[in-house]
This record gives sequence, C-alpha cells and structure tokens, in this order.
Amino acid sequence: MKDRGIVLAQARMAILVALRTPRAILFTVAFPLILLVLFNSIFIKSGDNGTTLPNDVRISAQAYFTAGIVAYAVALSTFTTLAVSLTTQRENGQLKRYRGTPMPPWTFIAAQITRATAQALLMTAVLLGVGALAYGVPIPTSTFPAFVLYVVLGTATCCSLGIALTAFTTTPDSASTIAPFTVVILAFFSGIWIPVDQLPQWLETVGKIFPLYHLALGLQTTLSPSAKGSGLDLQNVLVLALWAIAGARIASKRFHWEPQAARA
Amino acid sequence: MKLWDSVPLVSEVAISVSGLRKSYGEHEAVSGIDFEVAAGEVFGFRVPNGAGKTTTIEILEGYRERSGGEVAVLGVDPASPTRAWRNRVGLVLQECELDPLWTVREAIALFARFYAAPRPVAETIELVGLGDKRDARIGTLSGGQKRRVDVAIGIVGDPDLIFLDEPTTGFDPTARREAWNMIEGLKALGKTVFLTTHYMDEAQHLADRVAILRGGRIVAQGRTGELGESLGRRTVIGFTLDGGLGVEEVRARASAPVQLAGNRVEIETEQPQRDLYALLGLAAERGIVLEELEVRRPNLEDIFLELTRGEGG
Repeated sequence: MKDRGIVLAQARMAILVALRTPRAILFTVAFPLILLVLFNSIFIKSGDNGTTLPNDVRISAQAYFTAGIVAYAVALSTFTTLAVSLTTQRENGQLKRYRGTPMPPWTFIAAQITRATAQALLMTAVLLGVGALAYGVPIPTSTFPAFVLYVVLGTATCCSLGIALTAFTTTPDSASTIAPFTVVILAFFSGIWIPVDQLPQWLETVGKIFPLYHLALGLQTTLSPSAKGSGLDLQNVLVLALWAIAGARIASKRFHWEPQAARA
Repeated sequence: MKLWDSVPLVSEVAISVSGLRKSYGEHEAVSGIDFEVAAGEVFGFRVPNGAGKTTTIEILEGYRERSGGEVAVLGVDPASPTRAWRNRVGLVLQECELDPLWTVREAIALFARFYAAPRPVAETIELVGLGDKRDARIGTLSGGQKRRVDVAIGIVGDPDLIFLDEPTTGFDPTARREAWNMIEGLKALGKTVFLTTHYMDEAQHLADRVAILRGGRIVAQGRTGELGESLGRRTVIGFTLDGGLGVEEVRARASAPVQLAGNRVEIETEQPQRDLYALLGLAAERGIVLEELEVRRPNLEDIFLELTRGEGG
C-alpha cells in the first residue's frame, strides 16, 4: 500500500523532529516523569496513604497520582503536541506546500495522529512502569483491559480536540500558550494535582464537563484493586466519546491548510 | 503497447487562460486576462507587487477558485485538482518554510514519496547543487540554499509543468546565475516552466515569452525578444562621428530620423539590419571606422517600468 507508506514516512519525520527538539522532550516526556516522582515523594512523606474516588472506590495515593499523571501525559502528548505542531506547520506554509502535491490529505492527519498516539502509549508505559517498580502501584489484571481502553479512548479524544483547537489558533505562539495552559488548568478541575474529595463542589462540577476529568477518573478506578468488575464506567466512556465526536466535527469542518495569521 | 498509448497525453498547450477574473468583494484583483503557455516553453510573468500576481498563480496552481473565465492547466481545470494532475505539476511557492530540523535529504525523500514516479532523490539533490549539503539540517542553510531545497521539492516528482514563484528573490548575483543555469536545465529536459520574477533581466534571460500584468490586466505579452518591437519600441543604432563622415550623409542613407547630440549619432529604427548594412557600406566606401558603434535592442526593464508606472515595483 503506497498510501500507508506515505503515512509511515510522515510519522517517522514527525518523530525525528520531536527527537531533535530537546525542549519538546523535556516538556512532554521529562515533565510528567518529574511530576510523578515529586507527587509520590511528597505524599509518601506526609503519610497520606489513600483517597476515595467520586465513585466510592478506595485507592492508594501512589496509584491515584500515577493514574492522574498518565491522563495528564496523554493530554500533553496528543492535545498539546498536535495543536502546537499543526499550527506551526500551517503558519510556516508547510501544510500549504503539502496540499500542492499528490499527497492525500488524510495521510498527513493520520501520520500526525500516529506520532501522537505512539508518544501517548510510550508515556503511559513508562509512567506505569515507574509507578509499579518504584512506588508499588498495583496493576490489577481484572481491570487492566479497561485501563488500556481508557488510554486509547483518551488518546483519540485528545487527538481530535488538539486538531480541532487549530481552527482557533492563528499563530504558533497562541497554540503553545493556549494548549498547555488549558491542560494544566483542567488538571486542577480533574483531580490530577489535588484529589477530587478535597476539591470544592463547584470545581468538581465544572471539571465533570470536560474529558480530562473522566479520563483521570477512569484510569484511577481501573488502577485500584478495589474496583468492581471490569472497572469500566459508561458515563466516563460516553463523555470522552462525545468530546471526541465534537472535536472531529470541528476539525473536519474548520481545519485549515493555509496560513491564517497573514489573512485579512 | 497499443497504438493509442503512443499518442501524447500532453496537448501542445500547457496552460490556457481566457477571460480570467477574480474579485475579493468589491475589489477586482484580476480583470479578464488571456494567455497561453505552450508545452516546453519558459513563460515569464512579470507583475508589480499587489497587481494580481499571487491571485493568478494560485488559481493556476489549484489553490484558489476563480470568479470567472476559463482555465486549463495540462488540460485540467485547476479549480478541481486531482491526484493524477498534482502528479504532473510541481510547485515552488513563495514564503513556505520547511521544518528546520529535517535534513536536506530527508525533506526531499519525504516529498518524493508523494509522487507516482519520482526522480531519484540523490540525482535531484545534485541537480540543485546541494550535493555537499545533503545531510545538513535545513535550519543551518543560507537563504539561497533553502530556496534550492524548495526547487528540489518542486521537481522531485518529475512534473511536466513547474511553477516557479520568484525563485531567485534575495539571491546574490552568483546564486542567481546558478539558479538560472538550473532553470535552463529544466527547459532542456523538456519541462514547461511558469516563472514569476521581480527581475526583468531574469525574464529576459530565461523566458521564451513574457506577459506583463498591471492592475489585473495584461498590458503586454509576446516573445521575449520581440516584446519591445511589438510595443512600437525601436532598436537604436549609435556611433560617434569623427570627421570622416558628415551627418547629412548618414541622414541620406538611414531609414529613420537621425538624432545628433554633440558628435554622437543615434538612429531609432524599425529596420536595424537595413540601416546597419547601409551605414557599414558607407563606412567601407570611405575606408573609415564607425567609432563606438552600438546596437541597442529595446530594454524590457524600461518597458516594464513605463507600463507599470505608479504601481509598486
């Protein structure tokens, strides 16, 4: 399949660019790892060893923060990197150039999603591995399939929203401000930095509107040995899916291939 | 191979434009232009800034829709570009960067993948003269070298028709000469080249035919060498009188009025060959030399400036 070869070649180029950008590696790979170590160190020292999720599942502090930071890393790897790199490539004319070639447009989008997904899965594996080995985070076999499903669904949702965001960012600067800022703030609303049971009610209510809350809750639930059944919650799945569809609709209607900043 | 396979798909006309119009709201950027580009020729398009250049070229390239008129590029309406058509058209755009972290070879190899029958990557790199920079990152290249990467990407698909949008803007004289050689090389390969340029000498040097656009209309077009004559500009024959010859004798032989400034004679003639023959014959009869003899063809840059006066250069 020639077109699949085009997708792989473009994904490879995108990965090369990421590997050659130390700032990006620091921000999207090292940063979540540092946070994982910091959070686990702080909460082990303070002796705080557990919290109750909104669905009444008990979870250790280590598993709670590891799962939350996986959600954060997935959002950084997909939503943020896609919004920034697509806006940058659009504004410097690279996308316009692609459109002047026989390259099928879908192959480019597919390649960018492939790159982001690879990064999200790699980060998940690394964070989970560090959590399990260094902090004894359990990986329950009964709920692990649901954990993987949440990672995949969260990746899809965040990719979709990252591409959709480029409809509103006119410069690389605006993308690289808005996208990470959104994720950091939403992480507060989603119980990633501070456990949900310690948040004021209104903060949690607002958080529930957004997908990151449901991704974090789903991952936390499925990483807790006391979760019942598969650990899959219909509400989490539904909210993530709805955001994925909304993002895809905006992206398919309002994605631009030509620079937007210079336009009158 | 069946008989009809040998019938060329390419018509003799590479680009055909008639009555092309494009409006943005009230403003009409292109107001009905007509021209044809024959297969295998270099067509120069000389436009002052903001006079409809980008609009016209982007309509031909399949980036913009037109408001009216007929356009066929390689026999296809560029308003609905197909993958097969894109395979045959190479673009060298203005103001399009490439990722500075890619190497020259990586970038060209990536674009080669998009085409059905690309030119070999190594050969393309050599063709644009970047052999010694093939593993350099694009971000480390000079402006001229980056432009060569642009050109390499434009030709790596081995297209039949190449749009070169100001390929040498910002080049130093040496780099421009090299770029000219490369464009002549494309022509030698039988490619059709649509060239826009800010430099009239570039059009004069490279183009078989030139069109000059002003205010959204074509104000002159024709073969590069004949454009001046077709606009009523004449060739000037000049020399210096040094006593062996009187101006009246020159007037008697010349077909056109003779201007005298000091002892410098200038004849603006429609028949340069006839007049030269007569004057050289006269000099030979007298056994004298026509001092500082020069024959000046109409200068395209002068014509362009005159035609586009009052607009940006």
